[in-house]
Amino acid sequence: MNDKKLNQLFESARKEIFPAPAEDFPADVLRAIRREPQIIAPSTISLFDQLNVLFPRIALAAAAIILLCIAADYGVTAAGTPSLSDGAAQLSAQQLLPSEPFSL
Amino acid sequence: MRGEGLNFPPQIVTDDAELLERIRSGAPDDFAEIVRRHQARVFSILHRYERDAQRVEDLAQETFLKAWRALNQFDGRAPFEHWISRIAVRTALDHLRREKNRRNEIGLDDLGQDALDWLRTGDEKSELDSRSAAELLDLAMNELSPTDRVVLTMQEIEGRSGKEIAEAIGSTGLAVRVRAVRARAKLKKVLEKLMAK
Repeated sequence: MNDKKLNQLFESARKEIFPAPAEDFPADVLRAIRREPQIIAPSTISLFDQLNVLFPRIALAAAAIILLCIAADYGVTAAGTPSLSDGAAQLSAQQLLPSEPFSL
Repeated sequence: MRGEGLNFPPQIVTDDAELLERIRSGAPDDFAEIVRRHQARVFSILHRYERDAQRVEDLAQETFLKAWRALNQFDGRAPFEHWISRIAVRTALDHLRREKNRRNEIGLDDLGQDALDWLRTGDEKSELDSRSAAELLDLAMNELSPTDRVVLTMQEIEGRSGKEIAEAIGSTGLAVRVRAVRARAKLKKVLEKLMAK
């Protein structure tokens, strides 16, 4: 089987005439479609549906912000700057556990 | 849904985009007009991969149902014809994958005498009628993988570009070119095997 003969085979197959679809084929498709759930028109999409579609993106953005905050907190701690929680702990220690207790 | 009878659109809409807009905004019966406009194209694609007329019709219906379900995803950037053609090719590909496990053996009994004579003759000028050629190719291409068959059919019989084939099967242009060369070589071997039988 050489290339010329193979090309000739393709060429002949290309000329094949297909049987025409049955006249009621579009009607058959329509009947099948009627058994399908209806497509949703764009105007009927509610705000809730839109939020539902956007949910994975919103969740991902929230997770990214949380991670960013944790990383920033670690960074600030590593740099030696007291964090807000340290400041609060120090303050409560000074007020509640004074180094010189009140004498009676 | 609008009415139980099969009412086709009363007024003529020439543009596919306009017709699709009407369907989306609540006139599903207008989809029959879309089917009527594109059925010849869909049938011609599917017929390359399945010879049985009843099965072709079932596959065509499957194609239009897939299009219906995904209608909201059609953005109108390319013509509807291209979109429905891609769905038809993918439907054919799924069909070939399902069928692959059922029919692996190729036999000369399925071929007509004309095809057998043409296959065995050394005369390169002898021509084979189109129906016999398609039957012979159908038989030989059963030996190829479904994707190889689709690539070769689209390239050699339908004359589609590498880009079109890549889009239809979800691949790259380079991968399609490589696959086409290999598939052609394999098809030649299958035909040689048939000649030797």
